[in-house]
Parts: sequence; C-alpha cells; structure tokens
Amino acid sequence: MIRSMIAAVAGAMLLALLAVGPAAAQDKPPLIVGAIYVGSVNDYGYNRSMKDGLEEMKKNIPGLKLIEAENVPETAESERVMEGMIQQGAKLIFATSFGHQQFAFNLAKTHPDVYFEHAGGWMQAPNFGNFFGATQAAWYPMGVAAGKMTKTNTLGFVVGVPIGYAIGNVNAFEMGAHSVNPKVETRVVVTGGWSDKAKEAAAANALIDQGADVVTMHVDSPATIIQAAESHGKYSIGFQSIEARQLAPKGWLTGLGFTWGPFMTDTAKSVIAGTFKPAMVREGLGQMMAIAPFGPSVPGDVEKLVTASADKVEKGFNPFTGPVTDNTGAVKIAAGESWGGDKMGNFDWYVEGVIGKAK
Amino acid sequence: MNSALIVGVVASSIMSGTSLLYATLGEIFGERAGIVNLGLEGVMLIGAAGGFAATAMTGSPYLGIAAAALAGAAINLIFAYVVIARHANQLAAGLSLMFFGIGLSALIGRPFVGTLIAGLPRLSVPGLDPDGIGARLVSYDALVYLGAPVALFAWWLVFRTRWGLGLRTVGESPAAAFAAGLNPQRLQYQALTLAGALGGVAGAHISVALTLTWAEGMTAGRGFIAIALVIFAKWNPLWAIAGALLFGGAEGLQLQLQAAGADVSPFIMNMTPYLLTLLVLIAWGWSRGSAAPAALGRNFVGVE
Amino acid sequence: MQRDGSTLWDCASARAKAFALIAAVALGVFATLLIAAGKDPLKAYLDTLTYVFGNAYGFSELLVRMIPLMLTAVAAAAPARIGLINVGAEGQLYMGAWLATAGALALSNQPAFVLLPLLTVLGFVGGGVWALIAGALRALKLVNETISTLLLNYIAPLIVSYSIFGPWRSPESSSYPQSPAFAEAARLPTFFHSRVHLGVVFALVCLILYWLVMTRTRFGLEMRAIGGNPEAARRLGIPTIRYILIVMFAAGGAAGLAGMAEVAAIQGRLVAELSPGYGFIGFLVAWLAGTSASGIVTMSFLFALISSVGDILQITQGVPYAVVNILMAVILFVVLGRRPVGRAAR
Repeated sequence: MIRSMIAAVAGAMLLALLAVGPAAAQDKPPLIVGAIYVGSVNDYGYNRSMKDGLEEMKKNIPGLKLIEAENVPETAESERVMEGMIQQGAKLIFATSFGHQQFAFNLAKTHPDVYFEHAGGWMQAPNFGNFFGATQAAWYPMGVAAGKMTKTNTLGFVVGVPIGYAIGNVNAFEMGAHSVNPKVETRVVVTGGWSDKAKEAAAANALIDQGADVVTMHVDSPATIIQAAESHGKYSIGFQSIEARQLAPKGWLTGLGFTWGPFMTDTAKSVIAGTFKPAMVREGLGQMMAIAPFGPSVPGDVEKLVTASADKVEKGFNPFTGPVTDNTGAVKIAAGESWGGDKMGNFDWYVEGVIGKAK
Repeated sequence: MNSALIVGVVASSIMSGTSLLYATLGEIFGERAGIVNLGLEGVMLIGAAGGFAATAMTGSPYLGIAAAALAGAAINLIFAYVVIARHANQLAAGLSLMFFGIGLSALIGRPFVGTLIAGLPRLSVPGLDPDGIGARLVSYDALVYLGAPVALFAWWLVFRTRWGLGLRTVGESPAAAFAAGLNPQRLQYQALTLAGALGGVAGAHISVALTLTWAEGMTAGRGFIAIALVIFAKWNPLWAIAGALLFGGAEGLQLQLQAAGADVSPFIMNMTPYLLTLLVLIAWGWSRGSAAPAALGRNFVGVE
Repeated sequence: MQRDGSTLWDCASARAKAFALIAAVALGVFATLLIAAGKDPLKAYLDTLTYVFGNAYGFSELLVRMIPLMLTAVAAAAPARIGLINVGAEGQLYMGAWLATAGALALSNQPAFVLLPLLTVLGFVGGGVWALIAGALRALKLVNETISTLLLNYIAPLIVSYSIFGPWRSPESSSYPQSPAFAEAARLPTFFHSRVHLGVVFALVCLILYWLVMTRTRFGLEMRAIGGNPEAARRLGIPTIRYILIVMFAAGGAAGLAGMAEVAAIQGRLVAELSPGYGFIGFLVAWLAGTSASGIVTMSFLFALISSVGDILQITQGVPYAVVNILMAVILFVVLGRRPVGRAAR
C-alpha cells in the first residue's frame, strides 16, 4: 500500500512540476508584499484599517503585488502562512497583529533577505521593524467629546485584553473627559479577547445598564459594540477605523482611526530601493492616526473643543504629565515627571475616575 | 448590589440563554431517540452563517431565521443518515459533523463578513413599557419570547403525545419499539430533523439577533455547553429553561459584575457551567439514578 | 493476521483500494464546492503536492503537524482497547502544557539536561492526571468517561487562560496575556533548521510502546480481554479498575506530551490558543485507523496533508483556512457511510 501511494504521489508531483513550470515565467512586479490579518478585513476596525493602508500602498506603487491572508491566528500557524508567502516571492511582510510578533521574528532570522514590519510590538533586527500608532494621547480629545456629550456622567469603555497600551487609552480618555467635566466617570469591562462578538455585545449592554450613555472600546472591531449602543439609543465613539461611523447614523460622536498608508508606502519604497532601516515607529495624530468626522448630534462648539484638543496633542501635548493619581488615591506620576511614549506599555493602573481593576 | 446589576444579569441571562435553550431542546429530541450529536456546534454555526447570509440577501431577519432552521435540519440529516442507515459510530459522526459545520459555515459566511443587516427587532410588550432600567427587562426579540413556549411545547410533545412515547421507547430500547410496531428509524429521523432545525435557529439567534455580525467560529463552544445542559436538565425540556438561564447567566454575570465595579475572574466564572454539570453528574452517579435514555449512543452512556 | 485468516497484504491492498476510492469521492465533493465558490481546486491540489513533496519546508511542516496528531490518537486509541471512550485529549493536552510551563517557569535557570527530562515528565503527568479524573469517576461507576472527558476539555483551557492572565502573566512591555518565554534550556531541540522537534521522538516512542504493549505483553492481552467482554474479564479475576486507571493515565499522558511539545518547541511559552482541535482530530485519526499503530501513522499523515491543502488554499487563493474542515469531514462521512453493521461502533 505504501508503495502504490508513493508511486501515485511521485506521478502527481511530476505532473505538478510540469504544470507549474511554465506559469512561473511572467511579468515581474517591482515588489511582492505579504500581509497577514488576525481577523477579517471587513471588520470596520483594526483589520480594515490595515487593509486600507495596504491598498493605499498598492495604489502608490504601480505593479506591486499584494498577497493577503485573513483570520490568521496568533499561533505558530502564522509562521506557516508567512513562510508560504515568502516562498511565493514576498520580500516584505506585514505582520499586522501583536501576537504574530514572535513568529515573524523567527522567520526574520531564517530569511535575512526578507523584510518584516510588525504592528504593535518591540522586537528589532536588521530586517525587522516595528510600527504602531501612538494611540494614548489621541484618546484625550475623544474623552473631551464624550465628557461634553454625556448627560449621565457615566462613560463606558470595553477593553478586549487589558494590556498596558489599552489601559493607557482608557486613562487618556478619562482624563480628557475629566478636563471638561469633572464629575464624569468611566466604567471599564474586559471581555478577555480581542474579538469575541457575543461578549462584546453583552459587555456593551452591561455598561449601558450601569448608566453609560457614551460607549467606546479597544477591541479589534468596534462594530458589535457600536451597534449595541445604537440599538439602545446611546452615543458611541469608534476606534481603529473611521469607517465605523457608518454603523451608527444617529449616535456616532467621533472616533479614532489609523492611517497606515503613508508609512506602508514609504516602507515598501525603501525595500525596493534597498534602503530599509529597522526602527520602532510610533506616530500619533496627524501622521498614523486621524480623527473621524463628527456625527450629526455633535454641536458646533463641542466640535471646536475637540478639534482644538486634537491640535494640542498633535503639537506635543502629553496628558501623562504629573501629578497623576490612580483610582485608589496613590500618586503614580509625580509632579514634574511625565510618561513618554516608551512607557505607554507599562500601565497597570487606572487614573482617578475610572471604575475598574487593571491587575 | 444595585438594582441595575440585578436587572442587567437577568436580562443578559435571558439574552444569552435563549440560543442555549433552543440548542438544548434540539439535542434533547435527538438524545431521547437514543442519538448523541457531538456535532451540535457545527449545526449552530451553519445556522448562524446561513441565517446571517439569508438575512443579508433578503433583508428580512425572519426569513433569515427560517433559512437557518432549514439549513440546520439539512445538515443534521447527513449526520442522521450516516448514523441511522449506516450504523456509524455516533461520536465519530458527530465530530465529523462539527468539523463540517465549522468549514461550511466559513465558506458560506465569507462573502457576508462586515455586511450590515437588519437584525431581529426587539419587541416591547405593549402597555408594559417603563423607561430606564426596567425597559431592558421587557424588550426582547421574538425568539426570546418564543423560548419558553417552545420548551413547553417540546415537553408536551415528548411526554404527552404518542409520538413522544414512541420516541422515548426508541431511546430506551429500539428492539422493544420495533416489537411494539413502531418504526424506530423513522422516529429517529424525525427527531434529528427537529433537532437540526432548533440547532440552526439557536445559531442564528447569535448572529441575527445578538451580535448582528458573522465571524468564523462565533458560537465559541456553545454547542458543547448545550450538550452538557441536556444532561444537567435530565433530558427534560422544562429543566432546560432553568439550565439555559443559569448557564447563560454565568456568561453574562462576570461582565455585569465588572461594569458594576466588582472584581471577578472571567475564567473562573466561565468554568462554572462545566464544573456544575460534572458535580451534578457525580451526585447522580452516587445516588445510582441515571435519567438517561438507556440506549443512548449504544456504548455511550450507561455506566457499566 | 486478521480475524478471518486473510493476510496483512490482502487486507492492505484491499484497504488501499478502498481508500483510493474514498479519497477520490471526497476530493471530488470538495472540488465541486470550491468550484461553486469560484476557486480552482485542481490548482490547489497540485500546489499542495508540490509544496509538501517538492519543498523541504512544506514537508517539514507536514511532520510538525503529524506529531501532536499521533500523540492524541494514541490517547484515544489505548482506552478504546478496553472499551473506554476518551474524547478528552484536547483538555489533556492543555493540562500537559500547563504543568510543563509550571516547571519551566519555576526552574528556569536549570541546564537543559535537567529541564528537558523534567518538562517531559511534567507534561506526561499533567495530561495523565487530567485523564485520571475521568478514569477514576468511571472506575467508581459515577460518571461515564465520554461525558467527563468532554466536560474536562473545556475546563482545561480556562485554567490555562486564568494562569496566563494572572499569576503567570509575562511582565514584558505590553503584558500581552502569555507566559514569559521559556529559557533556551527549556526549549525542545529541532532538527535540520526546520520546526520538526524532539516531539517526533515522543510520538514514535508512544506508538511503539503502544504497539508493543498491545501485541506482546500480558497487560495488553488482558486489556483486549476487558475490551472484548468486560463481564467475563471481571469474572476471570482481571482487576478492571486498575486497568482503567492505568490506561487512562497513560493515554492522558500521551496527549499531555503533545501539549508539552507545543509549548516547549513550537510556541516557546504558554499561550491561550494551543491547539486547533488536535484532540478531536486525534480521536478521529484513531477511529479511522482502527486503533492500530501503523494506521495511526498513516492517518495522521493523511490529516496533516489535508491541513496543508488548507494552507495552500489560504495563501494562494484567499479561501479561509477553516474551509479545509469540509474536506476532512467529507472523507469521514464517506468512511462512516461505507460501513453498515459489521464494523461495529467502537
């Protein structure tokens, strides 16, 4: 049995090589780029923003070929998928989700002629760079919007996984809201995963039950939460992709979105020109991040406030400048100190005004 | 303990529990006829994807739910054929159905990821319409309201009709049923068709009513919770209501507690349905009474 | 020698023919579905073959996938021989990974020759104890093992998640929920610059031991007696309870080794998502293989090959990887449908 199997397989292999051979002789694109997404690109969220950025890159570099794979889990499976892309000729790989880091890094070691850009991590190598939006400060103007629009003084924040960066986002949000409305509180619910739709719907409902009338989130896709808020007639603020505003025609206030296009285009060009330089890139509002258009219920004066606040952030305003107290009363950032970009992953405490436990 | 929390927990129990209830009821029919379906997860996924797709294409969530029921029944019939007509091992067939459902639902659902649909609308009970917190307690979609009646109907079918008696006889001893002039195979097919339809509806509730999205694998193990629930409910549709509320509540409880500011480990909470079922089973084993249909699974249940 | 006196070769060639037919039907059905979805199945099949057989990486990944399948298949096959149904290999895998992680984290500055054997033992014990719970419940006539192993399947990953979100959370910068990385000394060595790791030795050892015990020892003989007729075995004085406990422990241990290999070789740390259903696929592998050791190798190979089709479809044609489950299921349904009363339910 084994013998006949081997014979059959060898025959098929021969056939395959004959079939595949001629197909290889085609027009060579300037660059083949591979991209893996942890979820589906139609998520109005993180993956959509990555897809939009890659499409922009593709448009800017005529002839560029893009190989994509969706729903690539953050496990060893991702290594297999990326390797497959490399075998198809990809010379630049975008590993777009945090959990892909180690596996992309493994491949960077074994493929020194292929370049990797990972989103959201910290590892570096001659052919491995890291990029992400500096989200924390950008949440401050979102807080301003929420703080002005809330009538119950309760805001709701759904967090997927309580990593330092996400906690930082919540903190900046509350601080922004507090700056225009000292009575406001932010309640946090953690779902435990970046993308669990049923839990997200339940989490949004739970926050609304507890009185939140503005709901926002840090999960992969804001869709479910925004829809839940909209169905209860509450306001929502989006995150990850500004396309999410289509989901809440009435309740949408504003949102944050990533604009990865320019960075991705520059990176691809540098690979083509042979000038790739690995770096830890963190860009904020005005560069890798943008504020979404305002919804119909936002009055002109609030718009002005939020835009002004966003301008301040773009010009370098850092909300994490001491003294900052956490929600147990302890001073976490002393007066005169400030936490810069390198510390954004270190948050394990919530600021005053946030109801939730970070640890 | 604030009232918002209590209301929230009850409401979320009812919302999450509904799909569990339908799935459990379906599985009860099948198991009462002597057939264990480990592939319930796959059936629910097909219902979720199919229901979502149909809703997106026709614009009507009701048509979507109907399509989900049909799809679930159709898929389950493959399982039914293999198990009833070809005497296949039920566990292997069930697991195969599970994988089939995972794959087929991914294929069906793919073109519809991200599509916005008109979800199953929430219907308020007319006249009973307080503002604020109470509003959450009295506005659910049609499937939720139908949950308890369907369970009651299922109970009546199984315990108060001749068909149900035949079904139970087949589950206890197909030979005895045959000797009594019944057609065991036909009864099993009927039970599994019902089971498939209910499983499909259960899945569709999650995609068309609760989350209004489709994502691969979105039932997240609920099919297996339902299988545990069947045992917990002692194969009785009425107990299934209580069980579904309890298990649905465990899921929502920890989220509600978080929103209220309490600190609870989500993982410990998520373990409780399974731990509870295990403890209950041990307790029964201790008291030497198994309410399981004697011919369930042939070599499956029935402590040797 | 089979029960009806035919030789191994007769059976093998009959099985090969049967298998070729099954494969053809399944591939055909799957191809139809793919065509309906607008994809090119022939290209996918050919691409897979070139990838797996014409490419060192593709072949090595095939082996990498086979390792946990062979182990979880043994975990299902051994108890089946005494009439027990173990669908809990998934949970046992997680608990093996969990206990091995505990060891790796607690003793991270030990050298490899201390750590690796220790982690192997811990992996075995972790899975073994988990299965033993179900075994004990069955031996005490409290709960049927099918249900208990199924329920325990869902508790184990929650224990893992609890640990990596809590006490074992990595303190690295963004505190993503995973354990700290294992020290180099705790990593299973790999071969030939591929990801094929020492776990392949575990799998082969388990399979060989399984085959040896079943066919060459008195223990195995008594096991088969119990499996054939438990009542008679009991009356003959075979201590059934002891066998149940030992076999379940060993079976869980095999699955636990698969878990340990995942964390020590592939992942390098404990993470929430360890297994894409290896436990269940292993059960199906064991069932298809008729619980024979050589059958397990062949079927693991087959299922790993099917997974490779999924990889190719995803990378080259944009089909979700999950779709490959359809191919797997169709094969299974065809096999299940081919056997009317005779190849009795096991």
